[in-house]
Amino acid sequence: MKVEIDSFSGFRIYPSKGKLFVRGDSKVFRFASSKNASLFLQRKNPRKIAWTQVYRRMHKKGITEEVAKKRSRRTVKHQRGIVGADLAAIAAKRNQTAAVRSQQRLAAISKAKSEKKDKEVKKAKPARTSAPTGPKVSKQQMKGGKGGR
Amino acid sequence: MIGLKSTLNCIDNSGALIVECVNVLKQKVNNGWGSVGDEIVCVVKRARPVPTTTQQSVTAVKVRRGDVRRAVIVRTRKAVRRPDGRLIRFDDNAAVLLNNKREMLGTRIGGIVSADLRMKGWGKIVSLAPKVSPALPRSALSFDDSASQVI
Repeated sequence: MKVEIDSFSGFRIYPSKGKLFVRGDSKVFRFASSKNASLFLQRKNPRKIAWTQVYRRMHKKGITEEVAKKRSRRTVKHQRGIVGADLAAIAAKRNQTAAVRSQQRLAAISKAKSEKKDKEVKKAKPARTSAPTGPKVSKQQMKGGKGGR
Repeated sequence: MIGLKSTLNCIDNSGALIVECVNVLKQKVNNGWGSVGDEIVCVVKRARPVPTTTQQSVTAVKVRRGDVRRAVIVRTRKAVRRPDGRLIRFDDNAAVLLNNKREMLGTRIGGIVSADLRMKGWGKIVSLAPKVSPALPRSALSFDDSASQVI
């Protein structure tokens, strides 16, 4: 079942209803009632006739309530702590100045450098003491293979 | 609603422009009035002028003013009821000329024709037409050529 649309008023035309009019330039017009057909043949403008769909759409009739309801809610910004950082910590981070931050960064860098130096010193000492001692014997020789010949 | 003295536009390339109905061929129920798909006898009232240099081409004029021919009605100003209940009406009356074997005299059709013609057994005219008025529902078409194709 196909419901057609009236070409003058925009009314729905259900099967078995309506009238088709084929103009000289082979354009097809569909009318739901004789009222629509008559007005069309009188060359009336549907934009000037108050009960047609075109007029109602033009003058925004019967759609005001829907528009008002459709307006979406504005998002409200809200601060709160999240996992691992409560509100106080976040606020402290946010209120830092650039100078404080750069100072912190410098401190962190110098600290990391000194730690690295310490580690190297520690590494160097045991490396000297643990030099390999004893005769050089290959693994194959130890097992009695032909490496020792 | 075509009767005696009705004038119709001729929309094929037979050469006739305007024809006048002189008789509607009888059917079971047409009460003397012709509608879309009905055969009529008509007189050519106005035809395209015959060129002085006779040329045998497709566009050659096949009829002259005053010729009496058969024709089939393809459009009517009077609204015709479709099997699905809606009415269809055109801006003018129009016909296509035929020979004695009910074949088209011309080879082309220039203009919209009613889809009801297929239902009445004029499938060839519908297939030649550049445009056909909005199609009929499937159930209405099934008792013509499409039905024979299925079998």
